[in-house]
Amino acid sequence: MRQFKTIFKYEFKNYLTNKVFVGVTLALIILLGGITFIPRLIGSDDADSTVNIADMPVMLVSCNTVEAGNLDSDIVKTIFAETFKDYNIVVTEENVEAIKEKITSKQAECAFVLDSYTSYTYYVDNLSLYDTNAETARQVFQNMYRMNAMITEGISPEAAQSIMSAQIEYETQSLGKDQVQNFFYTYIMIFALYMVILLYGQMVASSVASEKSSRAMELLVTSAKPTSMMFGKVLSSCLAGLLQLAAIFGTVIVCFNINKTYWDSDGIMAAFFNIPTELLIYMLVFFVLGFLVYAFLYGATGSVVSKLEDLNTAVMPVTLLFIVGFMIVMMTMSSGNTDTLLLKVASYVPFTSPMAMFTRIAMSRVAAYEIAISIAILAVSVVLVGVIAAKIYRMGVLLYGKRPSIGTIISTLRKEKTRR
Amino acid sequence: MVLEFKEIEKSFGDLKVLKRVSFSAQSGKAFGLLGRNGAGKTTSIRIMMNVFSQDGGEVLIDGQKIDYHKVKFGYLPEERGLYPKKKISEQLIYFAELNGLSYKEAVDSVNYWLERLGMSEYKNKRLDSLSKGNQQKIQLITALAHNPDIVILDEPFSGLDPVNAMLLKDVVKEVIANNKIVIFSSHQMNYIEEFCDSIAILNGGQIAICGDLYDIKRNYPRNKLVVRSVDSDKIQAECGLACEKGEAQGEIIIMLPDAADKKAIMQKLTEKYDIDEIKIFEPSLNDIFVEHAGKQI
Repeated sequence: MRQFKTIFKYEFKNYLTNKVFVGVTLALIILLGGITFIPRLIGSDDADSTVNIADMPVMLVSCNTVEAGNLDSDIVKTIFAETFKDYNIVVTEENVEAIKEKITSKQAECAFVLDSYTSYTYYVDNLSLYDTNAETARQVFQNMYRMNAMITEGISPEAAQSIMSAQIEYETQSLGKDQVQNFFYTYIMIFALYMVILLYGQMVASSVASEKSSRAMELLVTSAKPTSMMFGKVLSSCLAGLLQLAAIFGTVIVCFNINKTYWDSDGIMAAFFNIPTELLIYMLVFFVLGFLVYAFLYGATGSVVSKLEDLNTAVMPVTLLFIVGFMIVMMTMSSGNTDTLLLKVASYVPFTSPMAMFTRIAMSRVAAYEIAISIAILAVSVVLVGVIAAKIYRMGVLLYGKRPSIGTIISTLRKEKTRR
Repeated sequence: MVLEFKEIEKSFGDLKVLKRVSFSAQSGKAFGLLGRNGAGKTTSIRIMMNVFSQDGGEVLIDGQKIDYHKVKFGYLPEERGLYPKKKISEQLIYFAELNGLSYKEAVDSVNYWLERLGMSEYKNKRLDSLSKGNQQKIQLITALAHNPDIVILDEPFSGLDPVNAMLLKDVVKEVIANNKIVIFSSHQMNYIEEFCDSIAILNGGQIAICGDLYDIKRNYPRNKLVVRSVDSDKIQAECGLACEKGEAQGEIIIMLPDAADKKAIMQKLTEKYDIDEIKIFEPSLNDIFVEHAGKQI
């Protein structure tokens, strides 16, 4: 226990004095903290500068081919200007060829040509991925058509107007989980787990591998028990990781609260900062346990390579295992149905359960005993993987040269076991 | 305290590395564990320190199974290596703490040893800024700072200049005088001969010869005389016995037909010639080593 404490303290201090670690943390704090200030900065910009209508891109609207032909060009312009606030609306009577010419010669950005009351063509030079004008205009034309129809049927324009603008109010009450809202923190948690496990896993692995390549190992294995060594290293990296995340998210939360009023319109951000406490606790539990399982695997892998250069290929299977879990969760999440058999199975397998079970808890209805079983399996696995990792470590650290195959490792571990 | 290695066996896969290896080392004395490369020295040391478990046999302390919680080892591995990028005092304290000292004890001990080895000025430097010899001295501190009962030194003199070698000799003598068990493993036979009272030579995972160095030497036939004299040529021509040139200038080795004659012949020679030195020939450790480990089993 004392050895564990010594190792834990030493390794933890190593993280805190590591320039890269401190640098990355500070950079992320500044970057993410800074992002929360963006709406405040943009907001003040908008108030100061109003763009002159003449500087806005030109949108041509042509109604002269419409059979009914009696659309008032002023009304058309007003309606379009209201909907497309970022455009300079010009109602034109030119023919289609001339309009096309204007667009290709960049005199106009886009154009709507009404073929009839119920059909129109949208002309644009390069159709951008985010161009929704054609779709937006549909509503406008539909309203124009309905208004017109009502007026022809003898309803007064005012009455028609009020019929058209009647607002229906609605509200959604989710009796289970609100997938829309929970999606974001599930997503962020899974992503944070992904980043942190890969980053810290590599750090643990390379810390072990560099001790081996600098031959400090020769002395370490004779001075400390491999279990103390492994647990000390992994738990200190876990604490360092949590501390880093706490520092980053803590700053972001503080900064967000400073800028809260500017973010009010953004439901995603607001939802993210309103995580229910219960979910936050599960997040922490799965985060820590998931982190530990993988950090032990990475540590054990680090101990079987002789040179740092070999580390990247050696950790590949562990990384792949993790990515498989990540993919299962991500694919299920984006499909919207989190009650699939695959995800259910994955939520009990210790290498995928941190992500899978958390996703299920956040996005679906899961019985308490299921959560308890999953956590219990995971916790037992952490200890088991830790002990096995320590054994591999003890065996791996003194074997230089050829990397032992998984078969050799297993058979050696078995032999060790039968001897005891 | 007596450390006993009893019938130790160890295999790696199909390869038998140690075959019923037995030897013992006493406190207050130095023990030399010798052998050619790959003979099984390092494996023996690792089993001794419980890094590997043996397939058969026992490691005993005073006849009892060794309790690794009680017996403290200090180890200077042949493959030197600490944390190259870390501050020297920091890592020395870390290792001392790992070996059971409290933080305060570790700091005191590390400071004492840095001072003792003339390394205090490097205390706050990074290890990789030091020369090889100085790094070796730092490594030595990791073996001694926690006041171990058994000190294992693997090639302790390699890479040291004569002044540092002298310093290390003094330190080793001090450790032996403090009633510790000191186990040497080295290929520099002169150092082993200087320090070790008993030795074991491993060859191919077996003990080729083991015991008190003095006794081993005495067991060789005592039928050769080493004579150093200005008259060596004359002696060689006149004595009527088979002679051969020795290694040093003016040194000859006279073969005696019968070991019992040695006293009479020595007397005769000292009376007749100007003799600087005359003694019974004893094999050097080097000779013994070559004889027992020369042919790899």
